[in-house]
Formats: sequence, structure tokens, C-alpha cells
Amino acid sequence: MRIREWSYWLFLMPVLAALVLVVIAPLLLGIYYSFTDWNGIQATGFVGLANYKAIFQDERFLNSLWFTAKFSIVSIVLINVIGLSLALLVTAKLKTNKLMRTIFFMPNLIGGLILGFIWQFIFTKAFAGFGSLVGLESLKGWLSTPSTGFWGLVILMSWQMAGYIMVIYIAYLEGISKELIEAAEIDGANAFQRFWHVIFPLVAPAFTVSMFLTLSNTFKLYDQNLSLTGGGPYDSTQMVAMEIFNTAFKQYDMAYAQSKAVIFFIIVAVIALVQVYINKKREVEM
Amino acid sequence: MKGKWRAGLLAATIGFAGFLAGCNGGEKPATSPEGKSNGEVVTIDVFQFKVEFKDQFEQVAKAYEDEHENVKINITTVGGGEDYGAALRSKFASGNEPAIYNIGGPQDVADWKDKLADLSDTEAAGLALDGTLEGVTVEGEVLGLPFNQEGYGFIYNKNVFEKAGIDPASIVDFSSLEAAVKELDSKKEELGLEAVFALPGKEKWVTGLHLSNTFLAPEFEHNVLTAFDAPTVEFKYGDAFKRILDLQNDYSVQPTVSLDYSQQVEELFSLERVAIIQQGNWVYGSIAGIDEEFAQNGIGILPIPVEGYEGDRIPVGIPMYWGVNSNADEAVIETAKDFLNWLYTSETGKEAVVSEFNFIPAYEGYDSEKIADPLSKDVYEYSQKGKTIGWTFMGYPTGWGENELGVQIQKYLSGESSWEDVIATSKAAWEKGRQ
Repeated sequence: MRIREWSYWLFLMPVLAALVLVVIAPLLLGIYYSFTDWNGIQATGFVGLANYKAIFQDERFLNSLWFTAKFSIVSIVLINVIGLSLALLVTAKLKTNKLMRTIFFMPNLIGGLILGFIWQFIFTKAFAGFGSLVGLESLKGWLSTPSTGFWGLVILMSWQMAGYIMVIYIAYLEGISKELIEAAEIDGANAFQRFWHVIFPLVAPAFTVSMFLTLSNTFKLYDQNLSLTGGGPYDSTQMVAMEIFNTAFKQYDMAYAQSKAVIFFIIVAVIALVQVYINKKREVEM
Repeated sequence: MKGKWRAGLLAATIGFAGFLAGCNGGEKPATSPEGKSNGEVVTIDVFQFKVEFKDQFEQVAKAYEDEHENVKINITTVGGGEDYGAALRSKFASGNEPAIYNIGGPQDVADWKDKLADLSDTEAAGLALDGTLEGVTVEGEVLGLPFNQEGYGFIYNKNVFEKAGIDPASIVDFSSLEAAVKELDSKKEELGLEAVFALPGKEKWVTGLHLSNTFLAPEFEHNVLTAFDAPTVEFKYGDAFKRILDLQNDYSVQPTVSLDYSQQVEELFSLERVAIIQQGNWVYGSIAGIDEEFAQNGIGILPIPVEGYEGDRIPVGIPMYWGVNSNADEAVIETAKDFLNWLYTSETGKEAVVSEFNFIPAYEGYDSEKIADPLSKDVYEYSQKGKTIGWTFMGYPTGWGENELGVQIQKYLSGESSWEDVIATSKAAWEKGRQ
């Protein structure tokens, strides 16, 4: 038994070493830097909790945090609703299933930056062009106000991620045994009842996975944000990741940015863990 | 036996981990292993930001290599959309330090001071135009050599001005500019214009750095170091600033807040849908890429009038400097200095600077007739006549121009904030940045 333990750890070593080097060590180093006045070139001394105190008076950071939270909530709901709807659509008995699955999944294969630029074109040019054609003023000047910037980001994100989430739902939907649905049908359940009382509880594990993925993806969003709005107008659509990046690489306030990153890490970790815990519990109950 | 085998495997694993750690280890700056073994070849790693002249620069470096057999020059370019400052920091952090790199203004000099060699003994430093070394001179040591000069102002469409019957030479102050703009606006239809201006409010550097500099430089006596040392900012010409901004915004293609550089320069100006844009000589390449003929004959540069100051000046300055890494080996430092000196003082170098790079030289001893593009020529003429405003925005507190003032201006342009608030908030942010 001892021998097995030995070789077990031995073979685990390379992975552990890599993990320590590229994940754990930078994390600890980052936490260390957040207590100093590091400027990216050198640190001259410890400043204690000064960086952390400053964060809670930093309006820009708090605004971006609030914006990120709003964006995440709306996106998570939309992405999951759309993803599940698409999954139901393509698991129905249609001839074009395979083709549609591919099409729905495709946005996910395009890089975030490029997508951002494509949608920027759509919002500022195509929307404006269509708007002046049909005389809808509300389609003009997209991305130039905070609210159109917000919805622009939500639309882009939902469009991109829904296909990915769809794949997860498909896997669970196809795992539901036909007998259950047939039995429900024989018992006289209509389509909605079948969905709500049979299918929905059975795909609950998929929610855990999907929500975790959408949550972490939307919370940490950077590239789409950068290319679509760049945080503008007047930083009103700046998300936390971007705010931290700007503090670090525009202001060169590295240590301060690092402490923001630590706070951000804690927030994301707590939300993600709570969310997984609650969903897991619900799965068991059902 | 078995125990030995396991020990061997363990050793191998630890060795592997050590190898991984080694990737992060400190390599000696800027010398290749070959350079050491035969003691002859000196390798110069250049880490530079100007994407626009990457190919031409590499060719010139090759010419230098041909003249100097035992020198090898490796050029890495990070710039354009990339963040050069961030890339340079990670380059240094990785231990793979370049021998030659770029520094911007006084803040860069303060940050990198310990890693910059004194260049005052080079010929080029002696030939640099008056005032161009101010920002990089620390205690008598010249820590950088200027790249080139650049200037900006109102770039205008000559054909449109001619059709509208406006003489560009008559625009020497705010009221004549305003009159011309109103004239153009009234003839918009027949001139085929969408609007007179294209104000790229999205590009915070255009408003927060360039435009603001025009009105702040007189306050700082055109000296970047004065700006860098100033504990406060007054906005002495704040009203003039507001008027120019309003003029551009009121007569611009809307909405200005989401208008970006490529829309401004390529889509609107190059296709002659607007008559005037606030930009610099660097847009020549973009315009020429779309309409060579128009770029060659159809564009010129107008001053940005500062009411209450002088109306006929354009801001001209040094965007970047070359620095030599003082951590490198002695031979590398000497060769690096020689290369930079050669670039700006030898015949081959000079020829390349003007006709290949399309630079506006920042050194004496150049033939201005050789400057090929009309914008650079205009800028050079203004600088010859001394009709310039200094570039002080590199002396702003770090990030202030774009992230504070630029953002406030976006707020103002969206009608979310009054001009008084813009000024007050920016003043406070300046003071905070100086603490």
C-alpha cells in the first residue's frame, strides 16, 4: 500500500509542479504584491492595507463592479433560457437538426475580440442604416449611451454563449429515457406539463454546470468588452476585469490593481461556490 | 533494485520541475550564447513600438549589419493596438532584457532611470534640435535620443476649401476658423459633405491628450518638465478649450461619443465626407492607402487657435525616444549607441529616416526638401518658423489625460456633465495624481 502511494505521488508530480508554478505561485505572489507599492518594475516597501482601504472609496471600481453584476445577472438568465430553448428545438424530431446544431454553435468558435468588432459594426452601422430606413430613432447611435452599450454587450454575449450552453443541455436532454416521457404522455400530460414536471427536473444537473460556466464567463469578461465598447462612453460600460487592467497598465498602479484583482478573485470564488452549493442541493432534493 | 529505480524516476521528475522553473530564470540581458563563445558577434535586441515603420526599420538595421560584420540586430515590435509599456515591463520581468527600447516622457524616464545609459557623448545627441532633449535629460545625462518629430492640428481638405472659396491662409484665430466652419456648413450639400468635422470622442487620446495639450502647454511654458513638476493644473485657457471642443462637436458627424479613429480618418475624411479633422501627420499613411492622389495633393494642416494666446501655432513634439539598457554588457551598450548614432547621422541612415520612414527629423543637418508627404512638410515648416506649441501631455500625471480628462470630456459630449464639472473634476484628479 505504501508503495502505491509512493508511485501515485510520483506520477502526480509533473502536474502538481506545473500547477504550483503557473497557478498557485502567481496567486500567492499577487497577494504579496497587493500589500506593497509595487509599480511593475520594483517594490520599495510594504503599505499594509492601504491599497484595500482605497478600493472601497474608488468610485470607478465600485461602478464597474455594479455594472458587471447587472450584466452578469441579465446575461446568465438570457443565455440559459436561450440555450435551453435551442436545445429543445434541436432535440425535437426535425430534419435539419444536425445543421442547426452546427449553426447555433458556430458563434462560439469565433474569437471574442473579432466578435466584438463585428457587432460594433452591426450596432453602429447596420442598426443605424435599418433605423433610418424604417424611421426608428431608437436604432440610431447605439453604443454611444450607457444603456445601449449595456444591451449591446448582453446581446453579443448571449448570441455567442447560447450555442455553447445549448450543447450541454442537449447532452442531458438526450440522456432522458424515452419511457419516462412516454409514460407521462400516456398519463395524459400535455407538452407543457411534460416539460415542466418531467424534463425540467431531469436536466437540473445541467443548470449547475451551465450556470457555473456562464457566471464565470460573464463575470470575467474582457475581450468582448474591450472591442465592443472599450468601456465607453465615459467608462460607463467598463467591467471589472477591464477596470483592473486599466489600473495596472494605463495608470501603472500595479500594486493597487493587484489588490483589486484579489478582491475580485474572492468575489468570484464566493459567488461561484455558493451557486454550485445551492444548485447541488436542489439536484439532490429533486 | 526497485528502490533505485524509483529514486531515479523521482530525480527525473524533480529535474523536470527544475526545468520548468528554469524557464522563468534570469537570462543575461541582450547577449546571445554565440556572442560569448566566439567573442566576436555582438547581438543587439531592439524592442520598439512603432509598427508603421517596422519593415523599413528592419531593412535599415540590415544595412547596418552589412557595414558592421560582427553585429547582429534583432528587432521586436510591439505597438499599434498593443500596449507597449505593458509589454516592455513583462519583457524586463522575464529577464530577457532588450538592449535598445523606447521611452516616452518624463514619467518613463523616472520609472526606467536605473536602466538607461547616458547617451550624451553621441554625435546625434549634439545634433538634436533645441528643446527636444529637455524631457530626457537628468542631471546632465541624456537618457534618450528622439525618434522623430510629430505634429498635429486641423487637417483639412484643400479641394473642399477651394470649392467653398475659403483661403486656408486666412485662418489664423478662432473667429476666422469659426467663420470658415459656418461657411462650409452652409454649403454642406453642394460640397458633398456629411458634416464639417469628425470629432472622435471615443478616442480619449484625441481629446484628453492632444486637444487638451494645445490649451495646457502655454500654461506650462511649453515645457514637458514644467508640466511634470506642476502640483496643480489651472486650465488658464479653459474657455478657449471649451469653444474649440464645442465647435468640433456641434459641426461633427454624430454621435461623437462613439466615433473612433478609423471612422474619422478612413471612412469620413479619406472619402471626403468631412472637411476637417483634428489629427496629426501620422494619418498620411492611412489616407494614402485609400486615396494616394488625395493624400499627395489634397490635404494640409491648419493651426488649432488658442484664444487669448496665439492662434497660428501647431503642437509639435517628440513622441518617443530611444533608450539604451545600462544593464547590458559594455560591448552591447557601445554597439547600441553606435547603431542609434549611425541611424541619425550617417548618410545611409539619414536617407532612410526621411524617405523610407517618412519621419520629420528631430536633428540638424537634414534636407527638408526630401520630406515626401505634405503633412510632414507642413509640420516641418511650422517648426522651422518656430510657430509651435510644445508637447506637454507626456508630463501629465499617469493616466490623467485619457482616464480622467478624456472620460470627463466624453461625459460632457454626452450631455451628462457641465464644462465646469469637467474642469473641477480634472483639476482634483491632477492634484490627486501628484500626491
